[in-house]
Amino acid sequence: MEANEQLTSAKQLLDPQLQKKIRIKTLTKSSVVIRSTLIILALLSIYAFISFDYKQLDVGEAVLSTFANLKAMFLEPHLKHFTFTHALYQVFVTLGLAFLTTLFGAIIAVFLGLLAAENLTNKRVSSMIKGSVAFIRAVPTVLWVLIFAVAAGLGSVAAVIGMTFHSVSYLVKAYSESFEELDNGVIEALQASGANWWQIIFQAVIPSSLTYMISWTFLRFEINFAVAIAMGAAAGAGGIGFDMFMASNFYLDIREIGAITYFVLAIAILLEMVAIRFKKKLKVNG
Amino acid sequence: MTALLEVNHVSKQFGSDTKALSDVNFSVNEGEFVSIIGPSGAGKSTLLRCINRMIDATSGEIIFDNMNVMNLKKKDLKKVRTKIGMIFQHYNLVNRLSVIENTLHGNLGKKSTLAGVLGLYSQEEKEQAVNILHVLGLDEHIYKRADQLSGGQKQRVGIARALIQDPRMLLCDEPIASLDPNSAKIIMDHLRNISTKLGITVLVNLHQVDVALKYSDKIIGVNHGQVVYNGSPKDITKEDIQLIYGSEAEDLIFDVGGIHAS
Repeated sequence: MEANEQLTSAKQLLDPQLQKKIRIKTLTKSSVVIRSTLIILALLSIYAFISFDYKQLDVGEAVLSTFANLKAMFLEPHLKHFTFTHALYQVFVTLGLAFLTTLFGAIIAVFLGLLAAENLTNKRVSSMIKGSVAFIRAVPTVLWVLIFAVAAGLGSVAAVIGMTFHSVSYLVKAYSESFEELDNGVIEALQASGANWWQIIFQAVIPSSLTYMISWTFLRFEINFAVAIAMGAAAGAGGIGFDMFMASNFYLDIREIGAITYFVLAIAILLEMVAIRFKKKLKVNG
Repeated sequence: MTALLEVNHVSKQFGSDTKALSDVNFSVNEGEFVSIIGPSGAGKSTLLRCINRMIDATSGEIIFDNMNVMNLKKKDLKKVRTKIGMIFQHYNLVNRLSVIENTLHGNLGKKSTLAGVLGLYSQEEKEQAVNILHVLGLDEHIYKRADQLSGGQKQRVGIARALIQDPRMLLCDEPIASLDPNSAKIIMDHLRNISTKLGITVLVNLHQVDVALKYSDKIIGVNHGQVVYNGSPKDITKEDIQLIYGSEAEDLIFDVGGIHAS
């Protein structure tokens, strides 16, 4: 009985609030912005679908022939215009391009990253480097390669310079952020014992952030591999990307594209596996 | 006994209105064990860091070993810093490196840039590190990574890193604040030993008044950036404690009389 009474009294207490709807989320500025963005995007999508110019294309038929193309590409792959060993060699050329640009990028980025980390330099130098690096990063890699192609001509040189350029900007951000993660106390401790900047960097900062640095560099290597394929096609940098370009635009051979795609996929999976192995080892020993 | 450290009229101002230290005066003799006590935010850490110029004091002079630390150029300052070891509440070790590597870091200030960067240490330095670690009871942990140690062990590595500098003075910023009573006692005993056996001056920031009274030769009480007590732990009274902490001594969770009795 008593419990019941208590319950009813609790209900009475709640009642005035129940009449007013209780909101869990308050309407803040950010939620308004997010909602209106979503609504605008939805409206734009609907408008886009309505205003498409289908050119008397039968959607069903188009989908079916796309599937037919995909089937030819991936279920009946073959190599016609070059041999398996040639393809393998070209994949290694592409890997080489990715490796070279990542290596160059990493070396330059370590030093710029040190200068960009706020806890290691002053704020002005840091924000200057971070700003310029953000600008470089905002322009896609392909565009940088084409810009450098003006001076170096289309080909591998432009690709190496352009890709290195973008790798540097990407890695500077990644590295400097992992340097900034370091506890300031450690730097203070070494400063208090009279150690100088370079000693602190190599004895405390880099050992502490080595795992992050390696995993970021590996990620960039994977990105650079993908970009190197595109560069082969777009900038004539050679490698498997160029063969893909030839197969699609020159020989119009869908099945060969399928075969090359499988090649690239195999390498990508291999890279991923190596990266995972590597990181596991680092976590245990490092 | 000569004064190793003299702090004269030192003030420190952060920004335009926050005064961390105002007109602090005291001196510390060679081989003395001095505790600085006071409530949180009283300026203890700032005071300690002004001595080796991790923070630059606004005015006043700090005489260490007959040199005015305040006027030193970068190079001389580094030289002075090699003679002053520092120990921290959070140990501040490089977690990914081994105990012996962390210990040897204390020597970086005396090495050339290149040798320090590459981590090249002489056989002598390595032997010294092993000896110090042995004295501190860390023999089995020499090759362990610093983050695999317990808090007390980490703090002992911190002490080892300071001792390998062959310092004249140790600055300890809350060395036992994150430790359990057992490890805290081990650390304080080590610090006391360093002071008596090696003749190294030890300056400790402490929160535990009872610990400070038990271990020190001299107590410096700080409140609101000012020295409000400076003298022997034997002469400290309830009124002094009240002055330092700004509360009734009875309210604090220790017993002054009991400590004097023991």
